[in-house]
Amino acid sequence: MATDVAAIDRVNGFWRRAGRYTILAIIAVVILFPIYTTLVAAFKPGSIALRHPLLPESPTFSVIKEAWTGGHLGKYMLNSAIVCLIVVVAQIITSVLSAYAFAFLKFHGRMVVFSIFLATLLVPAEAIYVTNFRTIQSLNWIDSFKSLTIPFLATAFGTFLLRQVFLQIPKELHEAAEMDGIGHWGFMKEVAVPLVRPSLGALGLFCFLGTWNQYLWPVLVTKTNDYRTVQSGLKVLASSRLDSPNLVMAGTVIAAVPIFVVLIVFQRQLIRGLTAGAVKG
Amino acid sequence: MNPTPHARFVAARRGTGHRRLVLLAGSMALVAAACSSGSKSITDAGNKDTKAPIATTAAATTAAATGTTATPSSGATTGTPATTATPGTAAATTPAPTVAPSTTTSTPLANLPKCDTTALAASTGTVDITYWDALGSTQLQGSLKKLTDLYNSSQAKVHVTIQEQNAYETAIDGYLQANQDGRPDILMTPEYAFTQIKDTKSVVPIDACATSSKFDKSLYVPATLAEYAAGGVLWSMPFNVSNPVLYYNRKAFTAAGLDPNKPPATLEELQADSKKIVEARASTYGVAFDTGFDSGGGWYTEQWFAKSGDFYADNQNGRSAPATKVNIDDATGVGLMTYLQSMVSSKLAVNVGANDSGQDTLLKMADKTQPAAMSINTSAGLAQVLTILKAGTFPGLTVDDIGIGPMPGPAAQPGVNVGGASLWIVDHKNDAKAAAAWDYIQFLTNAQSQSTWAADTGYVPSRKDSTELDPLKTTYANDPRFAVAFDQLLATPNIPSSAGPALGPQREVRKLVATAMAAILGGADPQTSLTDAAKQSDALIAQYSQQVGG
Amino acid sequence: MSSRKRRDLGTAAMMLLPSLAILSAFVLYPLGRAVWMGQQRCSAVTKVCRSSGWGQYLDVLQSSQFQNALVVTVKFVLLTVPVGLFLGVVLAVLADKAIRGIGFFRTVFTSTIATSVAVASLMWLFLLQPSIGVLTNVPFLVKLFPVIKNPGLLQDSGTALSAAAASSVWANLGFTFVLVTAGLQSIPRDLYESAFVDGAGGFRRFTNVTLPMLSPVLLFSSVVLTSRAFQAYGEFDLLTGGGPKPQFSTTTVTYLAYGTGTSIGGDDGLKSTIAILLFVILLILSAAQFRGFGKRVEYGN
Repeated sequence: MATDVAAIDRVNGFWRRAGRYTILAIIAVVILFPIYTTLVAAFKPGSIALRHPLLPESPTFSVIKEAWTGGHLGKYMLNSAIVCLIVVVAQIITSVLSAYAFAFLKFHGRMVVFSIFLATLLVPAEAIYVTNFRTIQSLNWIDSFKSLTIPFLATAFGTFLLRQVFLQIPKELHEAAEMDGIGHWGFMKEVAVPLVRPSLGALGLFCFLGTWNQYLWPVLVTKTNDYRTVQSGLKVLASSRLDSPNLVMAGTVIAAVPIFVVLIVFQRQLIRGLTAGAVKG
Repeated sequence: MNPTPHARFVAARRGTGHRRLVLLAGSMALVAAACSSGSKSITDAGNKDTKAPIATTAAATTAAATGTTATPSSGATTGTPATTATPGTAAATTPAPTVAPSTTTSTPLANLPKCDTTALAASTGTVDITYWDALGSTQLQGSLKKLTDLYNSSQAKVHVTIQEQNAYETAIDGYLQANQDGRPDILMTPEYAFTQIKDTKSVVPIDACATSSKFDKSLYVPATLAEYAAGGVLWSMPFNVSNPVLYYNRKAFTAAGLDPNKPPATLEELQADSKKIVEARASTYGVAFDTGFDSGGGWYTEQWFAKSGDFYADNQNGRSAPATKVNIDDATGVGLMTYLQSMVSSKLAVNVGANDSGQDTLLKMADKTQPAAMSINTSAGLAQVLTILKAGTFPGLTVDDIGIGPMPGPAAQPGVNVGGASLWIVDHKNDAKAAAAWDYIQFLTNAQSQSTWAADTGYVPSRKDSTELDPLKTTYANDPRFAVAFDQLLATPNIPSSAGPALGPQREVRKLVATAMAAILGGADPQTSLTDAAKQSDALIAQYSQQVGG
Repeated sequence: MSSRKRRDLGTAAMMLLPSLAILSAFVLYPLGRAVWMGQQRCSAVTKVCRSSGWGQYLDVLQSSQFQNALVVTVKFVLLTVPVGLFLGVVLAVLADKAIRGIGFFRTVFTSTIATSVAVASLMWLFLLQPSIGVLTNVPFLVKLFPVIKNPGLLQDSGTALSAAAASSVWANLGFTFVLVTAGLQSIPRDLYESAFVDGAGGFRRFTNVTLPMLSPVLLFSSVVLTSRAFQAYGEFDLLTGGGPKPQFSTTTVTYLAYGTGTSIGGDDGLKSTIAILLFVILLILSAAQFRGFGKRVEYGN
């Protein structure tokens, strides 16, 4: 009996698996389709840009090169990199500091300040862009790295994330450090921060992705190619080079590559970070 | 892909009884509030009294007292409405011999920013200025760059850096949003933004520089300067000039027994010719109309009013004093819309819709199954159209098949008001920069530059003598079709109504007219639709005056 | 202990100051100012702002443009969130088998997570453009769906929003897939086994074991996706410019406030009113979502 069942199962299993692979393949094709057409267009020389969008023809790097230089994608990437670096480092530092204060320090008004941090999480970015723009404008920071970085040097999200992790550090470690007279700054530097390094990685990754992908704010505050970031630069590229769609597609390829690389290299941190809030709560 | 902090916060909190209350109370309040009328316009929000044009009369009277924009200078514009206290002007209905701003008196310029053109010669070193260009296509931007490079390399006093805005709207919005420090030295905006930019009080009027450098404005086609003048002052300098012309299919004309060298000049002729064409089956439709607000619905309506010699808005189209109301629902407007409606309903014409691409009427002419034989389009598109046809994109339609005629109008009256854009000198309280900007603008609008520009792009030169210089001279000689728009411009009578309206919310008014036209072409009653649009336009104008004047 | 509190106060102040300064200056203060500006009308031309009373909030809420925008926004959310969640779950379940090459498929399904709003929107713009786009060059598709070419999926007021929604669902697919996959992998296998022993078939196992255990992930994804959909801007800026006009079929609330060519006309006061109203709506929505899912969700601590 068992062998009959096994045999039937094997046959059923074959068709099941074939069916499953077919469905998976169909879905994969549908999902990859836009990426495929973009790549085909990005590598097609300008003269035949609009023929046969589904077939690669005489692939060349010249369009990508033109997007990098003439389309200013190179400058945009540099600007984005600078902005992201500044913001990520700053957000990690400020988050570590404030998370530490909430986790290890006792002081009057701690609940009040905590609530203030909490309140900022509720505010959607769009609600404050208008007034932030006016502030930036009156400080004459329009079209500079200052406007792209300074409003984002701190984040309550990071504070809460790190606070959760700090709270998980055993009390005994902290008490031992106190006994040794190390003091808060020492403890933070020598013990607390090294212990939460994986979370720092996840936080850094999130901050990087969030800043790299910002769209509306850079569009509002940058006016020249000297300071445009990748996302707002893509908008300018798209609106100014409507006649060369393959150039625009080359631009999107350039813009997408760094994220792709980052996500592959840091995929473990990404998944850990995403699921930490979702699965366990 | 970054989970918004907002979302994380929500996911991290636990539910409490409070939350239930907040949710219920909040959503009920919101729904209750929202469920009252949904027919208010957001532009009326907060305004308690939108009808009374408060500031206009007040501004006019104070202006008259202090001698600023509302005061006509002697010998120039006449005919201000009875409400202003301006001394000694003729009755409002007599058209003055010229609407071109006077170059002699300085009364209107007295309280406006000055322009000292000697400051350029006096300055040491190169003056760097920035120019926000609003041209949309790479081709046009390339032609501009050619001219600018020529300018930069031909002298060492001024260096111009172009910052492409890539679209008219971007340039306007960007300029309005920026503070004075963030603004360029030269700005390009389309003609419908004229009043808005003038009212920012952030520019040096061209007239100030023209007076200072003894500039001869008579070399320019009067219609082009009239478009950018108000209150007796020329505010900005026209650079790329266009106007609507009639594109028609010569093959279809011949097939219908019409003379392909005689396109219809009046709306009646347009109807008659369309009838012949449709009956002879030379084409499915006689003419293609559209209801886009920068073309068929908005811009051409302004043109048709000019062609009728009728004012689109009061206060001489808003040029002698800020407009307070529009006249679009008068006999001219209703007659026009009724005509268009009957053309479409009798299938002599087709409505191609909102024309978002700007080329829908032209594409209708090239349509394989149900083409139209004629369409009205901007002259600025001619070069591009011929290039596309030459490339064989539309088999069956060759370069020689396209004829160009003047825009047909209500009567045999010639003339159009100009489209395109103009250049402003931004006031940074820096004489050298203003003088440098003026120098560059003079270059861009001199006879040779305008000749090169027009020949390259299909725009019309603003200078009369440009047609005698190459390359334009050759272009017009080789292909007289390019000259039609220019001839039409030259033939424009120099009367106040030819200059077209200067309204604060001009774009919005165009949209309202376009919407009304779309409804009318769909069968709505012309008078009702136009009066409705007029009322809403008046409200917008009143609001604008309140905000700007007050 | 109070001396400890006092001692710590100094250190705490130093540690909190950077974050607090930034957050106060660039989140809290602007919020307050936006609430105040929400009852002002500002002229884009003269840059002068005039107070017009708190009734302005009500006026905007009742205005036809805002309500249209709200309807468009809600439609967009309804088009993207349920579809996105459903597809994410389907893909995750399909890819949850340890068969050969499943890693490849998992990578493909995750790949859209690398696209930003601008990148994804431009890719789809290239697909859907009616004269030079990819779809218009596929003849049998055009014959089947003439709207592709005339006037174009993004230019036709009936299809524009759905086309934009498709682009958004595609872009978010990777994100949802990763989350649901992680959620699936954290479900203890013995739960399935005991269900199997109890005689539950595949579908029953799914509804009785998988879905409930996935509920934290689904809640989280739903909140994130809804939040993003409500605040979506880049898609409309790049794909449709808020059009097609005059129906403004893709002018969402955010686009109404910040987009070019809308009826707001650069009035910072109205922009603030709209922004604050959006804020309030989002608050209520979040509370509702949590309440709706909250009962069924189990949290570890």
